[in-house]
Amino acid sequence: MSGDAGIEVRGITHDYGSVRALHDVTLSIPRGLIFGLLGPNGSGKSTLIRILCGLLRPTAGTAYVDGIDVRTAAADVRRRIGYVPQRFSLYEDLTVLENLDFFARVYGLAGEHLTTRRNRVIELVGIGPYRDRLAANLSGGWKQRLSLAAALMHEPRVVFLDEPTAGIDPVARRELWNLLFELSAAGVTLLVSTHYMDEAERCARVGYLYLSRLLVEGEPESLLRLPAITPPGTRRVEAACEGSATRVLRHARALPYVEDVTIFGNSLHLLVPESVPDESIRRDLAEASGQGLTIRGILPSLEDVFVRLTALQAEEAGNGKDGHR
Amino acid sequence: MKGFLAVLRKEAIHMRRDKGTLRLALGIPVFQLILFGSIDTNVRNVPTAIFDQCRCPESRALIDEMVATRTFEIKRDVTSHEALREAIVEGSVKVGIEIPPDFARHRQQGTEATFLALIDGSDNSIASQALGAIDGLALTRSLEDMSARLGVSTLPLSPRPQVLFNPDTRSANLLIPGLIAILLTFSGTLLTAYAIVRERERGTLEQLMVTPVSSAEMILGKLVPYLVLAFVQLVLVLFFMRTLFHVPIHGSVLLLAGLSLIYLTSLLALGLMISARAATQIEATQAAQGILLPSIMLSGYIFPLSSLPLPLQIAANLLPATHFVSISRGIIIRGADLHDLWNEVVALLIISAVLLTASVVVFRRRRL
Repeated sequence: MSGDAGIEVRGITHDYGSVRALHDVTLSIPRGLIFGLLGPNGSGKSTLIRILCGLLRPTAGTAYVDGIDVRTAAADVRRRIGYVPQRFSLYEDLTVLENLDFFARVYGLAGEHLTTRRNRVIELVGIGPYRDRLAANLSGGWKQRLSLAAALMHEPRVVFLDEPTAGIDPVARRELWNLLFELSAAGVTLLVSTHYMDEAERCARVGYLYLSRLLVEGEPESLLRLPAITPPGTRRVEAACEGSATRVLRHARALPYVEDVTIFGNSLHLLVPESVPDESIRRDLAEASGQGLTIRGILPSLEDVFVRLTALQAEEAGNGKDGHR
Repeated sequence: MKGFLAVLRKEAIHMRRDKGTLRLALGIPVFQLILFGSIDTNVRNVPTAIFDQCRCPESRALIDEMVATRTFEIKRDVTSHEALREAIVEGSVKVGIEIPPDFARHRQQGTEATFLALIDGSDNSIASQALGAIDGLALTRSLEDMSARLGVSTLPLSPRPQVLFNPDTRSANLLIPGLIAILLTFSGTLLTAYAIVRERERGTLEQLMVTPVSSAEMILGKLVPYLVLAFVQLVLVLFFMRTLFHVPIHGSVLLLAGLSLIYLTSLLALGLMISARAATQIEATQAAQGILLPSIMLSGYIFPLSSLPLPLQIAANLLPATHFVSISRGIIIRGADLHDLWNEVVALLIISAVLLTASVVVFRRRRL
């Protein structure tokens, strides 16, 4: 009943006692896709992942992973998924090989099949040089790759990664992502939670969780064009400053037609009415700040999207306060 | 089955890597055996003070006879009743003997010669043995005097006591077989008390829970390597009991080893149950201590079971230690065989099966 989706989530709600962690989340991720799950800490990302792994039973709703119902057939789901938790969760007093062998054996791999599979995974994540090192003595990046390798031993159809790149260096981060693309190309469905916008932009689809609700979900490109982000009659421009953008910021805020300003390095991103041309923005800002700058029209970034959606949601929650606790 | 073997193998590696724990696990029971096994429970050399107001050959004879029993050791000579009392209150002596000035006269005339024996009642076993020794001494001396006066050489009633199994009443022979059960209770239960909660604390349990490994595979896979370790502990303790303390094993060593496996299984299962339930290692330690102390107090190792009130006797029978204390004493001291110990063995089997099942059920319910 789940069609071709790698992950299908329907109306999942989860309460920890009186605290609602997820509210009516619905989501469909086609097979072989990388899905990025974004949202601030405590928004429910880990809860959703843990429900899909069969570690938590949802309070309400259904979910299918690789076509299997996680509520009724959690054991079947476990054979088909790999899970890389936020915190390193392999055995530090075991070597790389011992860790991989243990997880392979738990899934019933043995003998030649185990060796072949292990060699393939070691080659894939490139952990060969450290095979006899204790997991405790690996760097953060290698620990993450070992976690991924362990999660891949049994050839899972779906892999969940909970903030896999938190706290590892940019090079290791990029290498891990290259691995994820390889898996995706091999038809593995991946759900990755992250705080990094550049990672979100690499995903085929992204979803944004905020206060336990899934606010938006879709291809990054299409999210950028959401009407709520750039309302009809407005557009986004970048003001590249010659001097310090921070000094221009306050003047930009003071301009009556500027609806929103965010600072990005040495530029400002402005939300302005379509009727105001680039040249008049340039002139107004230059006069007010005494700095030279150039203006060009841009698409919003994913960060713009999420910041904007969060603000809209907060407004809405503020308006409808009467009905809530 | 595959999950069981995988977990077993992993646990064996953990155990091998953790040399410190391994050394402690094997060293502590032996150390404790040596420590507690040396305790002599026979009351000897009780410190005694004398207030001798007679200072005559008769009073000297009495004192010499007391010393000859080896129960008393004269530590102090005092010169007043108050000083005698004070010596007991301050704890420097346990027994005070006061001999009145007319002691010699009464002894010579054959009239009733009295002496005062003050006994510190704050230590039960010393008080009762000192009392018995003094009574026995006075009675023997009186009988001898009376029979001499009557000119008879035989007593009308004379017992011929025979102490079975431990004729020299060596306390090591009695103490150590029970001590073994107690030492294993501690080390066995604590070995596994951390086995699951440690993984829970380190987060590795979460990773394990997304794999198809079942609760029973987890419990058994963790139990078996520790069973081997605990069995090595037992063999070591038996070895030192035999070689260092020269405690003879009157029954079958093989039977003892076989039955100890059932006992160790129940202890490890208990530890795993605690571990499956606990959120932190500290919580597990506390729970283990809460169970271990009653096992020692109620197992019959310290107090005979028959001296416990009925509800405690029932509770005692639910403890695995109670049954293994009986089995261990039975085989080592009395040379009992399986037929003699049948009840204890069945009880131990039932307790082990229940604890093992309970630990799987608790783990299945609790999981993460």
